[in-house]
Amino acid sequence: MPFDLHFIARLIPALIEGAEVTVELAILTFAICLVWGLIVALANSTRGPLSWFAGAYVQIVRNTPLLIQMYIVYFGFSMAGFGLSGFASGLLALCIQNGGYVAEIYRGGLQAVSTRQYEAGRALGMRRWTLYTVVIIPQVVARIVPPMTNQAISITKDTSQVAAIAVMDMMKVAQVWVESSANTYDVFLGVAIIYLVLTSVASVAGKLFERRLAFAQ
Amino acid sequence: MKEFAPLLHGYWYLLRGAGMTLLMAGAAILPATACGILLAMAQVFGNRFARSAVVGYLFIVRGIPLLVLLTFTYYLLPLTGIDLPPFWGVVLVMALYYAAFMSEVFRAGILSLPQGQWDAARSLGMTRRLMLQIVIFPQALRLASPPFVSLCANLVKATSLVSIVGLWELTMASREIVERTLAPFQIFLGAAAIYFCICYTLALYGRYLESRVLHGH
Amino acid sequence: MLEVADVSKRFGTLEVLRGVSLSVAPGEVVVVIGPSGSGKTTLLRCINLLEDYERGTVTVDGDPIGYRLDRRAGQRVRMSEREIAAARENVGMVFQSFNLFPHMNALQNVMAAPVRVKGIPRARAEARARELLTMVGLSDKVAEYPVRLSGGQQQRVAIARALAMDPKIMLFDEVTSALDPELVGEVLAAMQQLARAGMTMVVVTHEMSFARDIADRIVFMDDGLVVEQGKPDQLLFSPATDRVRAFLKRYNDRYRI
Repeated sequence: MPFDLHFIARLIPALIEGAEVTVELAILTFAICLVWGLIVALANSTRGPLSWFAGAYVQIVRNTPLLIQMYIVYFGFSMAGFGLSGFASGLLALCIQNGGYVAEIYRGGLQAVSTRQYEAGRALGMRRWTLYTVVIIPQVVARIVPPMTNQAISITKDTSQVAAIAVMDMMKVAQVWVESSANTYDVFLGVAIIYLVLTSVASVAGKLFERRLAFAQ
Repeated sequence: MKEFAPLLHGYWYLLRGAGMTLLMAGAAILPATACGILLAMAQVFGNRFARSAVVGYLFIVRGIPLLVLLTFTYYLLPLTGIDLPPFWGVVLVMALYYAAFMSEVFRAGILSLPQGQWDAARSLGMTRRLMLQIVIFPQALRLASPPFVSLCANLVKATSLVSIVGLWELTMASREIVERTLAPFQIFLGAAAIYFCICYTLALYGRYLESRVLHGH
Repeated sequence: MLEVADVSKRFGTLEVLRGVSLSVAPGEVVVVIGPSGSGKTTLLRCINLLEDYERGTVTVDGDPIGYRLDRRAGQRVRMSEREIAAARENVGMVFQSFNLFPHMNALQNVMAAPVRVKGIPRARAEARARELLTMVGLSDKVAEYPVRLSGGQQQRVAIARALAMDPKIMLFDEVTSALDPELVGEVLAAMQQLARAGMTMVVVTHEMSFARDIADRIVFMDDGLVVEQGKPDQLLFSPATDRVRAFLKRYNDRYRI
């Protein structure tokens, strides 16, 4: 029976409990990737073997499925003797994969600022520190906000894959409820709506941030 | 080298899985492209109703994880009484899902053409249909081809999700071998390597197309 | 030949054209000058209906283009897209930014519309296209793609492309403004040749000496209105209105060496 109110009353708290795990994973992943992606992008912009490693890392993680990366971390590591919890494995795999995407966003942002801007800054007698903090970084930030917002949305959706390694996120909760009841429609609608709310929040936050930057400039 | 013996035993099975992955991806890419082009055209040239319908569709698809849609198609299909084999069910869902992202790519291609191209075509007495056919589409498709190819690589990676709902392809094949050999690290690495070969080839092709677009003929 | 009657156009609250009327006789070359923002380019774009306009009509040889007058209702009716496209065949246009089709070579650019719009057989269209490209001095560039051509060459291909439709009238919208100074001459020469051959032309330009050479009549526009028109020497050397005098003084001050 779809739209069974008694069922929904029990379903919603369970989904929200799962959603907490989803949100936690998404926020942690995004925060870690902001730092890790920057490190990779900077390593990539150097000359020599470090840049080669960073480049290879980006290509490898971007061209293999997240799910396989999760399996390697979750099953592979435990076989090798240092097992991680499902949550930790999921988080690690999410960071490994999305770090590659975030690094590319940083790289695109850095490349988009033309060398003329550097020359103009130097012609004004700016020191390196001033050049970067006043001229370059504000422009890079303005450029990377929209793709970073998209990445945050994509991370939020990606977290659903941790259900495959037994983490009780919203997706897993939904699977359990679907299998233990006949109210597939209710569960589906509930999960879909909560994901839509979460991704919309990320999208709106990105837009607000973008608008603030536009005013600042 | 001895540690990789399980991989040597299972490689033929993995390659068969990869064949299934490619088949699934190929079957999804064709309708996804067709729908993507239709959605893009509806959004660029359609009336208000068509435009808001497309925007609504994109909002929903961009906000819900593919895994949620796949899982529930798997559970819902039998309930709706539609007699669709699971393979075609997931191909349908993936096609409709990726159509949304493809439409963004094609729309960007159409909109990035300078106004002058439309002006010139109109001033030569071309009807809208002819203008689209010989001036706008050839250029828009060329502009859209690099991001289109990387979307195809994404789609190949996303096929790994169908293993979660029980369909057999590369990821499922690797899980089966892992259950027999208890060598998750080696087998999943092998699967990752196959995915990498497929997706990296596509990525290189996309980069080649991009350089052609940037440097003209 | 060309009748522009009382055309008015606004962008939002900005009135770009405020009742412009202009008639051009067969074979006549009319040059439109005026300060930037005076509505010259918009006027050309309205003639071809690249911009919709709120009031007025345009006819070429008596045939309406864009809007037709419904006598019973006493109202303007917008023609169908198909009718407008057909009417545009009679009007050739060359743009400031060339707007060649980058995915076609020079020959294909020139042939595309005659073949696909007019249905002229390929062989005949190709012969005519080669003839036109030779006329503008590009017989050795027929197979080149636009990226490989200089601005001046691209603009000459654009002229040939417009001519290939055998238009009754040609519109030129600041066609040398985007060119390096040393490439301006070759484009102006092609236009001069065309004028001598008797083509009816409306030319918007900032090149005053060229205007003087080529024009049968110069029209001065300012603030969305035709302020003054007359023979080149009369308008350029003894203008009747202060606005033209002020414009010419600014122009001379800027270009005096």
